[in-house]
Amino acid sequence: MQIDPLAEYYFQHEPQTICGQEVTAIIDEYVDNYPSVVDRFFTRYYYIKKSGSDKSPYQVLFHSNRICLISLAPEHPAYSNGIASLNFDIGQTDRAKNTVKGKGKKGGMVLQHDSTLALLTTKSGEVYKIPSCVRSKLVEVNTTYSENPESLLTAEEGANYIAIVLPKPEHCEDIKASLMTQEQYDEYKKQLMETSTEEVEK
Amino acid sequence: MINQDLVDYLKGHGVCVVCQLRYLKARGNEYKDIKESLEKLNVKYEAAAPQDEEEDNSETVCKKAKQQSCPCCLGLFSHSFQSQLIESILQTDIHKFECSDIVVAISMPMIVQTRQLAMWYALLEKFGNKIDKERAPDVPLKEAIKLIINPIICKELQKGYDANGIMINIQLSHNMEEDNLKKLKQLHEKAFPTAPNTKRQVVSRGVLDKQYMPKRIKADLFKEYFTVPPQADDILKLDSIEMTGPTVFVAGRYRKISRELSHTPWVLNGKRVMEDSIEEIIIRTVAPYFCKDISRVIFMSSGREDVDVRCLGKGRPFVLEIPNSIHTTLPTAEAHRMECEIDKSCKLSVKNLQMVQREELVHIKSGEEQKKKYYRALCKLHDPATPEILQKLDIPEGFQIQQKTPIRVLHRRPLHTRPRMIYKMKASVDKDNLRVLVLDVVSQAGTYIKELVHGEFGRTTPSVSSIIGQPVDILALDVMAIDLDWPKDVDNSLPE
Ligand SMILES: [Zn+2]
Repeated sequence: MQIDPLAEYYFQHEPQTICGQEVTAIIDEYVDNYPSVVDRFFTRYYYIKKSGSDKSPYQVLFHSNRICLISLAPEHPAYSNGIASLNFDIGQTDRAKNTVKGKGKKGGMVLQHDSTLALLTTKSGEVYKIPSCVRSKLVEVNTTYSENPESLLTAEEGANYIAIVLPKPEHCEDIKASLMTQEQYDEYKKQLMETSTEEVEK
Repeated sequence: MINQDLVDYLKGHGVCVVCQLRYLKARGNEYKDIKESLEKLNVKYEAAAPQDEEEDNSETVCKKAKQQSCPCCLGLFSHSFQSQLIESILQTDIHKFECSDIVVAISMPMIVQTRQLAMWYALLEKFGNKIDKERAPDVPLKEAIKLIINPIICKELQKGYDANGIMINIQLSHNMEEDNLKKLKQLHEKAFPTAPNTKRQVVSRGVLDKQYMPKRIKADLFKEYFTVPPQADDILKLDSIEMTGPTVFVAGRYRKISRELSHTPWVLNGKRVMEDSIEEIIIRTVAPYFCKDISRVIFMSSGREDVDVRCLGKGRPFVLEIPNSIHTTLPTAEAHRMECEIDKSCKLSVKNLQMVQREELVHIKSGEEQKKKYYRALCKLHDPATPEILQKLDIPEGFQIQQKTPIRVLHRRPLHTRPRMIYKMKASVDKDNLRVLVLDVVSQAGTYIKELVHGEFGRTTPSVSSIIGQPVDILALDVMAIDLDWPKDVDNSLPE
């Protein structure tokens, strides 16, 4: 007879009565299709620079409390080319030196949607100026990826954030309107695909 | 200056025996037997002033023969005034309060203070440098009230004197107060002129106490506005008497079985997010027994849990601070009725309801950081559990984490990275679904458990997810115990 190696780890519910009813076991609350943290609390938006030749896409995860996580969209060229470095020192300013104080995030660097957040260099040598995407105050940068840039490519959605920023409440509606929704972004990708196939056909 | 000269002078100007004793600086039991005290101070005692006797039967006398009183206390210490005061207190609803102690607060018109000042100048004129110009020659009225009037009220009401007792607020007035204030204002402008464009100081009781003394205001100036020595006048009038019941504290432990019940009313943009809250259920069930205005009741608890977190086990200690209470005890049967009523919500249960002392609130208010929290989390693994994973999550010796302020509260709280102790962790798994993990965690207060589980994009390290090297999410959380052995266990379902 084989011994079950997990036997000692099986959960056992201890019964308890509260308000005259049996308290339900916590495992009874399990649901299989539970949405992810990103799906539970965030809305996905996308940003592509309006001017210039660089049309690489970025993702903005907008939390219901207006905190935004800025990251590369899954279609960003860095994912296929590999990342050699991610640098928060963008020239005159080092974004990694950002500090915020108190509830109001005093002292946080002021960002416009096209302010450079970080410089990303791919293994093939292209340099991308990662934009802030959102008019906001810089709260936090993710130094994990300046130290270990390759790990950005395998990070889960959300964990791949490059910076956390906080827009003003009164700007949120305009900001959301200026970004691409998931639907608009999917449409944009479809059109891109079509034009590139057309080009190939030509 | 010998005592007899002083008393003779005061008596000659119609000052009552109590005030005479005040000017003899009597500060203790002397007021209980005035005759004996005066004799001890080598002062001849004569029977009550004729004035005082007159007062006793003057209630029906016509307007012209108005009651004249001691020029210093304006009748405050006369027998007739005291009996009128007691009678008025007895006519209030003081008997509705279940409380054996009282505290008395008498608010007097400022004319009484002006009178003491006038007598100070009079004594200076009479006795010269034997009278200090900075320190008043009498025992302050407030002190004398404590020594004389408060004990009488206590005796008549058969109650003790205690700061936590029923507060009796007595408001006195005088028909010359308006005129007095006008003169005080004029005097103040001359005595303490203010530079142009600066705000004029209001003559308050405190200003009178601190700044008004012969050393700072010349007698001649004072006499331009007030008569020295002070003259007999109408007696003080009893304006109003208001009762405030004592503040009482009711403690208990609550358990919460709903994942849709907030701790306090949850309002967003002026709208209720959840229709009820723990605070509201407890207050509306418990407080009406103690007071009418339940909006002033304060709810406190030893920490709190998120809306979607259950609180099981023995529950979380809480206390209500109830001002103006008519009760100071809570009968077991009444407590049990309240507990049963709350059970009917099917969301919240309260047990161990009991009265506690204010001093005991330290249990709830302090040491929050040192308290251990016991949680149970329902988690979902990316891959089915293996013995190896479960062993990795069996950490009886605990570990430390670094936790950044979670994104979900980052918009309203400062960004910090805080070290937090996880004292103990143990995992078990659902026999029928090896992706379903139950995690028992003992943590330091202030640890965000949801973030400890999934790691919040790497912002909490290490996390359950980083320890086992795969994504882990949290589906549900329960508080299993609170590390606070207060209030004591009481079973209100048992007969008394
Ligand atoms: Zn008097």
